[in-house]
Amino acid sequence: MSALQSAVRSHAEAVQVSRTIDYLGIFIFFFVVVGSYHIHAMLTMGDWDFWSDWKDRRLWVTVTPIVLVTFPAAIQAWTWEKFRNPWGATIAVLALLFGEWVNRYFNFWGWTYFPINFVFPAILVPGAILLDTFLMLSGSYLFTAIVGGMAWGLIFYPGNWPMIAPLHVPVEYNGMLMSIADIQGYNYVRTGTPEYIRMVEKGTLRTFGKDVAPVSAFFSAFMSILIYFMWHFVGRWFSTVRFLKQT
Amino acid sequence: MAATTAGGVEAKEQPLLNVKWLTFAFMLYTVFYFWVRWYEGVYGWSAGLDSFAPEFETYWMNFLYTEIVLEVVTASILWGYLWKTRDRNLAALAPREELRRNMTHLIWLFAYAWAIYWGASYFTEQDGTWHQTIVRDTDFTPSHIIEFYLSYPIYIITGGGAFLYAHTRLPYFSTSKGLSLAYLILWTGPFMILPNVGLNEWGHTFWFMEELFVAPLHYGFVIFGWLALAIMGVLLQVFASISNLIGKDLCPDIPPAQR
Repeated sequence: MSALQSAVRSHAEAVQVSRTIDYLGIFIFFFVVVGSYHIHAMLTMGDWDFWSDWKDRRLWVTVTPIVLVTFPAAIQAWTWEKFRNPWGATIAVLALLFGEWVNRYFNFWGWTYFPINFVFPAILVPGAILLDTFLMLSGSYLFTAIVGGMAWGLIFYPGNWPMIAPLHVPVEYNGMLMSIADIQGYNYVRTGTPEYIRMVEKGTLRTFGKDVAPVSAFFSAFMSILIYFMWHFVGRWFSTVRFLKQT
Repeated sequence: MAATTAGGVEAKEQPLLNVKWLTFAFMLYTVFYFWVRWYEGVYGWSAGLDSFAPEFETYWMNFLYTEIVLEVVTASILWGYLWKTRDRNLAALAPREELRRNMTHLIWLFAYAWAIYWGASYFTEQDGTWHQTIVRDTDFTPSHIIEFYLSYPIYIITGGGAFLYAHTRLPYFSTSKGLSLAYLILWTGPFMILPNVGLNEWGHTFWFMEELFVAPLHYGFVIFGWLALAIMGVLLQVFASISNLIGKDLCPDIPPAQR
């Protein structure tokens, strides 16, 4: 057979085949990212994400955006550069949220009976939309790193506040002041997570009390810029099409 | 039947994308893992709480021994079959057949992605909640038996199948060109998560009672998890190999020199 011979028999079939490949490619990419991003996420910020009583103003606000801007940056370096597809960051966080929600619902609640309003994951979509739109409108990774990375960090706590605020209402519980979230952690017994390994804000003598969340968010935003830079290159490395020649 | 011309030749031709195999790939893991989830849901609570009890041996340790034997046998047969039946004359491959093989390769990658989802996302974070339910008295807890020694080997075996299929049957990935770097990373990165379990369990014999998920002891898993991002390079190669086959039909106005 000649190499010039076509693999398809009509223009319509070529279009149809290419659409089928789109669907298969999206499925493949999405679920590999679910696995890969989820492993990265649960082992770098998982403990804050699992429990409402870890969702504090200092550590959670800092750690989560910084470690999670990684995959959006890498995937944007692929989707935008190779396909001019402006959905890279959103694909990443939708994949992660899919993996987390299925698991919290069917396992944390479905298998071991922790209430969903104790083990819900953090909201990430607002920051991802900002990252994607900044890249699409500016067409610049530099701009996206600085302004988008900043926005990704700053929007995190406001994006989550509507969900966690009801759990921060104070209660006098056996003579002590506790938030609803504290009481959740106290009531729904976790055998492997004693109170003292909970890494949350505990106050310091150098802290001005009420500014903790915004200061943490700005620090997180600044770090997200650096991580975005690094991981955008990671995305390029992983987009390699090289072949290793046997020597 | 759409194609009934040319003396029935067209009607007998295999479809470009075999939807039956695609469905099979999806259902194989889905049905099996739903059964696994049911099994651990029932026997995690009734037989999986005390590893020194005889029912743990019956329902969980025997599960472990069985799965390991089956995995070794499956990997040997599957990978051996794919290698022994490799195409030794890729130069003679017709474009239509090459496109068909590309679609079959996508079914393999589809299966790999689906297997990675169950292994790296579903059963891995599931272990997180089992840690909060028991204070473990063995490294071989019910969720470890499923997560580490069942779901990880299954995606590794599937990934090996996809890798071998591509490199033995597709001219673009032909072993005479060498090995695709991205594909090697895509397979061996997640594969290395399994040996890294050794470090994990070794470390946990010192730090036994608590489960801090973000403990540095776990970072090996993180780094090997990153390597699955090589799916980006692999998909670029897959798309390039396919656009060589159908690209000119999608863009008929482009002169050959610029294709």
